Amino acid sequence: MDYLGQDRREGLGRKANSRVILVVLILASVFLLLSSLYSAQASVFKKARESVLDATSPVLEILSGPIAYVNGVIGYIGDYFAVLEQNDALRRENAELRQWMNEALELRSVVSGFEQLQSYQAPPAVRPVDAFIIGEANDAFARSMIINAGRRKNVEPGQAVMDPDGLLGRIVHIGANASRVLLLTDVQSRVPVYVEGADVDGILVGRTRARPTISIIETSDDIEILPGQRVLTSGAEGVLPRGLPVGVVEDGARELEVDLYANYTRARMVRVINFAFPAVSDAAAEETSEEDAGAAADDQSQAEG
Amino acid sequence: MGYRAEQLFSILRSLTPTLLGFVGVLILALPIRFFEGALPTPIIPLVVVFFWSIYSPDFLPSPSVFAIGLLQDLLMGGPLGLWAAVYLVTQFAVSSQRAYFLGREQKVVWMGFALAASVASLMLWLVMSLMSGVLLPVAALSAQVAATILIYPVFGVAFRELHSRVLVEA
Repeated sequence: MDYLGQDRREGLGRKANSRVILVVLILASVFLLLSSLYSAQASVFKKARESVLDATSPVLEILSGPIAYVNGVIGYIGDYFAVLEQNDALRRENAELRQWMNEALELRSVVSGFEQLQSYQAPPAVRPVDAFIIGEANDAFARSMIINAGRRKNVEPGQAVMDPDGLLGRIVHIGANASRVLLLTDVQSRVPVYVEGADVDGILVGRTRARPTISIIETSDDIEILPGQRVLTSGAEGVLPRGLPVGVVEDGARELEVDLYANYTRARMVRVINFAFPAVSDAAAEETSEEDAGAAADDQSQAEG
Repeated sequence: MGYRAEQLFSILRSLTPTLLGFVGVLILALPIRFFEGALPTPIIPLVVVFFWSIYSPDFLPSPSVFAIGLLQDLLMGGPLGLWAAVYLVTQFAVSSQRAYFLGREQKVVWMGFALAASVASLMLWLVMSLMSGVLLPVAALSAQVAATILIYPVFGVAFRELHSRVLVEA
């Protein structure tokens, strides 16, 4: 009855199974690893990733529905034990939000007044693409998600992905119908941000921990960043729009940590911010360059600073 | 059963461990977040590689292991070749100790798996830390490897049954 471990020449490996091939393949994967260090964006690798995304996305899409249901059911069980505290917290939050709503309505009327001024130019409209999370790297070090929107829906690499609460990450690989989102917590993630109130620009650096850190680029003598200040995208490198909510400054032990608004364990539906920076027409560009080439450079450094 | 069907089934049987490895990778890529992500997803491909490297290497030749690892790298978005290297080195180490594990008690094999998984995760951590330039936190990885080790007996029994009842013809 027990056939385990008997040396029967069966299965796939009648010829393929040899030590030499094993060693050659180990060397091949080490070579791949080293070469992907230097040419991570090489077209062959990119193509391979895209085709794997496209090939697996239908399966992931079918399976992610029931899994989300099970996640929800198990989540309810957890919530059941905390329902009283949650109710209390929600009631308090609701009261707070009502005050904010009144303030927002007031501000809206003020802003609409300003918008009627002649000199006002509306910022370009953002056309978000809605998508579901169908995959997630359950890996200790790779923090990424797969969403079911890709090239066919005009998703492009670098675009921001938001959950209802805040920035989730950015698109890194796109297939035809699916794309991969690199989360803010991934060790490769770098997102330009600024701290509201302190008016400091920095880069949000992923650390594979729940909270990424900010590294400050512009240093001046008296930067005071306090816990509780909001962190927003700065739009510095020209792909993300300015002002997407990212999180709140937390008092880290050594570094400035950011408590993210986005909830990675609950997010299911996301939107890709399909943002196009306002294109400057050629005539306008020439005018500016003639008039004040120096002033433009100043403006830019101010905008970044 | 006709000759054709017979042949088809035998191909399917010999491909089963490889396909199980692929399924394990897919499970790693699914958005499973039980208890708000508190439960780590076990690395099932590692169990597949370990099990068949001991009990029947012919069913899981190294090109299959390479393919499983490469699929995982491509799907997870990590550096290419990382998991392929981890699985292949595991296979190399395990197959060199094959004679020791054969015919041993399941407890001993389980200990062996715990050792292999720990070594594999140490390797993973070293490579990832080298590549990212900082010492990465080990908490998430240890939790995942612990989950994989804890769940090994279940898969060990299941794969054993599958192998001796279905894959190898009586």
